[in-house]
Amino acid sequence: MLDAFSLLFQWQNLAFLVLGTGLGIVVGAIPGLTATMLIALTLPLTFHMDPVSAVTLLIGEYVGGISGGLITAILLRMPGTPASIVTTFDGYPMSQSGRPERALALGIMASVVGGVISWMFLAGMSPSLARFALQFGPWEYFTLVLMALVMLAVLAQGSLAKGLMGAALGMAFALPGIDSSIGQARLTFGSSTLLSGFGLLPVLIGAFAISQVLRDANGANTALKIDPPKKRLPVYWSDIRTHGPNMLRSSLIGTWIGLLPGIGGNIAALVSYSTTKQLSKTPEKFGTGHEPGVVSGETANNASIGGALIPLITMGIPGSVTEAILIGALTIHNLQPGPLLFQNAPEIAYGIIAAYLVANIIMLLMMWGAVKWIARVVLIPRSVLLSVILVFCVTGSYAVNSSFADVWVMIAFGVIGLGLEAAKVPLGPFVIGFVLSPIAEEQLRASLMMSDGNVAEILTRPWALFFLVLCILTLAWPAIAGRLANRARPEP
Amino acid sequence: MPHLTRRTIGDLTLCALVIAGSSILFIGAATLPAPRFEPMGSAAVPRILGGLLIILSLVVAVQSLRAPQDEAEPPAAIPFRGTLVLVTLIAYVAALDVLRVPFLIATPVFVVVSGLIMSHLSFRNAFMFSALGLGVTFLVDLVLTKFLYITIG
Repeated sequence: MLDAFSLLFQWQNLAFLVLGTGLGIVVGAIPGLTATMLIALTLPLTFHMDPVSAVTLLIGEYVGGISGGLITAILLRMPGTPASIVTTFDGYPMSQSGRPERALALGIMASVVGGVISWMFLAGMSPSLARFALQFGPWEYFTLVLMALVMLAVLAQGSLAKGLMGAALGMAFALPGIDSSIGQARLTFGSSTLLSGFGLLPVLIGAFAISQVLRDANGANTALKIDPPKKRLPVYWSDIRTHGPNMLRSSLIGTWIGLLPGIGGNIAALVSYSTTKQLSKTPEKFGTGHEPGVVSGETANNASIGGALIPLITMGIPGSVTEAILIGALTIHNLQPGPLLFQNAPEIAYGIIAAYLVANIIMLLMMWGAVKWIARVVLIPRSVLLSVILVFCVTGSYAVNSSFADVWVMIAFGVIGLGLEAAKVPLGPFVIGFVLSPIAEEQLRASLMMSDGNVAEILTRPWALFFLVLCILTLAWPAIAGRLANRARPEP
Repeated sequence: MPHLTRRTIGDLTLCALVIAGSSILFIGAATLPAPRFEPMGSAAVPRILGGLLIILSLVVAVQSLRAPQDEAEPPAAIPFRGTLVLVTLIAYVAALDVLRVPFLIATPVFVVVSGLIMSHLSFRNAFMFSALGLGVTFLVDLVLTKFLYITIG
């Protein structure tokens, strides 16, 4: 770990971490632009970078992107990122009642504390969890991937069938190309362009950046008005006593929820907010500009990042779309996320852990010192940002293979993404299905080869059986919950 | 025939498209060789996913038809300006790829046109997007050619 920190503090890696965190904060502060979009757009640039620098840049963007959302959530009641929705409940009323500086100070402090506590879990649990995951064979991996996909689909907003359809569609789009098991073209229909399949980067940029620009183009003319904070941000020693237990509890909730695939920072913040409200002696004050409301949401949403990084680096399982893109970043550099990462590329595995902690500290310094200037970013007309983003999308997709075929694929997936969102099919399971499909197929085929085609062998593998049972329970849960709710409802 | 809401029609269109896509999976899988060295073979996953997508499409279609038709919310409309931006984007990429228009010419024009579509037509905006387009173009070109050794167009 110490080696990772010393590698991280080399000037170029530190510069990329500062750059990434700064970019993340700015993009996170702009409502409508998300960390996911920023990371997808930056990914082509990392192709030409040293893997450690690439990872530090992306981790910085992730941390900054989630944290920056609190600025507009507090000052405008417009969360810069979905993870900051809960911050609007009490942050905006505080701002309206003449306490924007206090709300920002608490939000920034809470974000850092959440990040640092979840880092302790990330640093403490990951190496031992990775060692444990080394015992997993193909059956365990296949069922683990299946469980992650099912959880993502079930927990996505809207219909269960549409969530599963999104995941299956994403998996289907990953099929064309050379089948690595037999070295033969599959579903290419004679097209030489399709031999290498649909590239991860064009798919990600299309599904997230292009579809969002096309969706936002209608309202791009509206300019936001903001009143940036004028006084210094006040924090007191007594805040440790007042908000310490809340921060600790919210960090634990955020880290735990981040561990589970598909839930994300917004749900972590909401669960933490509800818990804090239920435990409070003055629950009626929540929603009126109550400080614990800001603290609970901001602590939990940042803590969820550390939690989500644990399954990513130890098992190669993404908890959200952003982690799926991080997996893409590692695979671009021929690194396989999972337990072997700690053995094959310890500088990357520990580098991610170290970068996460340092990014939180950089975020604190940047937001503390520059929040009044960052807040002014929202004054830039959206049409300016979106037209520049489109140029980055085209050049970024082209830069991967110097091929316009990738740019056309990006546009096609932009339209597909827009269509899926219009039809209320969630994009998260779609993209994660696309990323995890090759892993799932490879592991399933390896499992069946090892067991001579005997599916029943899964019953002899306790962990595989456990993941399968969890998968079935997750699928059945909406029906069970509906039944229980009906039974609990009093008869008329 | 019952009166169908826009949302139901949207769902049924989605299901029809997904079923059509699934049939492509089956057609493609039919041309793949039978398994020789392993139990599953190359065609198994396309067939499994194709079957799953058809089942899910039928479930979505049934759920949509059974939903109360009056209360169903309409699907999100595709924005008019978004469509224009998409057309401009396609024209821009076609200009670079097919017509081989130099990047330094096509990109500022694209920034001006897409920017004006997303804002509104005025000399002030045209000037602003021209300056922005030139700045972005030269910056991106500099990064691509000098640092990444990539030439576009």
